[in-house]
Amino acid sequence: MTTYSPSIDTSPADPGMYGLLAEFHDPQALVNAANVLRKNGYYRWDCYSPFPIHGLDKAMGLKFSPLPVVVFSVATLACVGALALAWFCNAFDYPLIVSGKPYWGFGPHMFVAFPATVLASVVTTFYATFIFCKLPVFRHPLFTSERFRRVTDDGFFIAVEARDAKFDLTATAALLNAAGAQAIEEVRD
Amino acid sequence: MTTIEIPQGRLDTGFDNTAEDCIHRDPLVTGEATYHAITKIVTATPEARRAPKIWYVCFTISLMLLCLLFLTIAYQVFTGVGVWGNNSPVGWGFDIINFVFWVGIAHAGTMISAILLMFRQKWRTGINRFAEATTVFSVLCAGIYPAIHVGRPWFAYWLIPYPNVMGVWPNFYSPLLWDALAVGTYSTVSFLFWYFGMVPDLATLRDRAKTRTRHTLYGLFSLGWRGSARHWLIYERGMLILGGVATALVLAVSSTVSTDFAVSQIPGWHETIFPPYFTVGAIFSGFATVIALAIPARELFGLKDVITLRHMDNLAKLMLVLASIVAYIYLIEFFIAYYSGNPYERFAYYNREFGPYWWLGWAMLFCNGVVPQLFWFKKARTTWWLALPVALIALFGMWTERFSIIVTSIQRDFLPSSWHMYRPSIVDIGMFAGSFGLFFTLFLLFCRFLPMVAMSEVKSILPQSHTHLPADCKAEA
Repeated sequence: MTTYSPSIDTSPADPGMYGLLAEFHDPQALVNAANVLRKNGYYRWDCYSPFPIHGLDKAMGLKFSPLPVVVFSVATLACVGALALAWFCNAFDYPLIVSGKPYWGFGPHMFVAFPATVLASVVTTFYATFIFCKLPVFRHPLFTSERFRRVTDDGFFIAVEARDAKFDLTATAALLNAAGAQAIEEVRD
Repeated sequence: MTTIEIPQGRLDTGFDNTAEDCIHRDPLVTGEATYHAITKIVTATPEARRAPKIWYVCFTISLMLLCLLFLTIAYQVFTGVGVWGNNSPVGWGFDIINFVFWVGIAHAGTMISAILLMFRQKWRTGINRFAEATTVFSVLCAGIYPAIHVGRPWFAYWLIPYPNVMGVWPNFYSPLLWDALAVGTYSTVSFLFWYFGMVPDLATLRDRAKTRTRHTLYGLFSLGWRGSARHWLIYERGMLILGGVATALVLAVSSTVSTDFAVSQIPGWHETIFPPYFTVGAIFSGFATVIALAIPARELFGLKDVITLRHMDNLAKLMLVLASIVAYIYLIEFFIAYYSGNPYERFAYYNREFGPYWWLGWAMLFCNGVVPQLFWFKKARTTWWLALPVALIALFGMWTERFSIIVTSIQRDFLPSSWHMYRPSIVDIGMFAGSFGLFFTLFLLFCRFLPMVAMSEVKSILPQSHTHLPADCKAEA
């Protein structure tokens, strides 16, 4: 496996500069360009598209998200917690005699444990997804670009941030251009 | 009449994407299948200055029915559950019938967005948002009934286990508690699932907004989504988890509801087949609802290129499968009643078809078992004026099924001296009509102001969205 040395953050020379925004024609062009940027060792950059493009994560060299581990842990806790609650309430703290049934039965308490597990997983997934995405963010430099509004319609973009150590206005623009960008613009904060 | 500009599709020019042979089948999205065309089709309705006239007519009627719902609930809460037609021995009437009916309708949305997601069915993308909306709103309608049927709804919080001065806890063996947990979980999950899927599409509406109000409102609810690849990666993983969990949930909710009946000792209720029976029936009625709503919606809001004939064809096929399973379960129920040799069990089923409510019993068999068999014919599946009546008849049939199971099983109980007929009171009927008002008010608002089709998902299944990794990247991976 080839290793590319990733760049690190530096404070940009021009503090008002967010970075360069490049537009690409279609998903395939975006994947190709992402591959080029990754190989050139850029670190602070991202692709933007109206829908998830499969393969783009590999081209960008993105890591697996820890979301499933978090959700599984919370769901397991919720399942055990719900069973423990049912046991505590009906078998320990105030034993309830109902038709001579045992105080604690695994079968009927599945109706308690199952929804609790599902509810916990879904609520965790919902919040964890947006927390991992660092959303909501209502103010972002990219939103100042008129061109970028098409990202939720039919626009495919790459934005390279100025704080990337490898960022250089001319060199990066040239690289994006060579990678097949249709249009490149500066984005200022 | 105000019309919404509809991009013309190929459907009108005779192309066919319903062919069984995939070589001769047109793509799933007909018409001009570019990314921008899909955005235009779906955002046409939320961005139109005025809705079609028929929308205002329907919305007014729905609002009036919604008022009726509030009035009847207020009257019932202030007077007591005696305003209903329930009696002894028929302790469960319209409240439980309509609860089970509405919960059932909810199931199609989750089935389409969760189970079909697991099976990687691409056609699901055209209708999932729409079906999920029916889920969210019908669970809401269902949730009203358990909340008010307890008689003193202001004590509903007693279902929550919290340390209290009385020193008691809720009974976790009680189906009432299971119901509250199942329906509470279902409504939360279906709402979060629906909203989660809608975030990127709300961002589309935000970016296209022409006025400040629209930009602020859609911007607020789209959480600042900007289509980042890093976000999409986490988001898709989250969607998959939600789908997997909801798949288990959709099979469990009606199963839980069915245990309200199955754990009792009433002939006609005390059956092990109940969980799958209720689940299949629920999904069946849900598909009928989705078909019944999709037919007018795709006509009215110009969605024919996205919700194509192929989608309608597939929905109808699934409905046919479910109808056949439902019919099989009916036959098994009657057979087991005969085969058990138990006179009470036999009587319960005899009473269902030949007792005082015989016509509902036969309507159930005919509407759910026989009529949907029309969907064996492609003509019936792809012609709206044939598919719509079948769906509506099936919906009515599923309601009669709930009535038959609930009322006829207890209306003639073990002791003939206590037999009593059940008739819904005017409050019962008003409340039922009102629940349709609630459903349609919310549904019409959804159609008018929110993206009715999951744009980002439809775009991702277009042929031009398919990419391949560059050779050097593939070698490393």
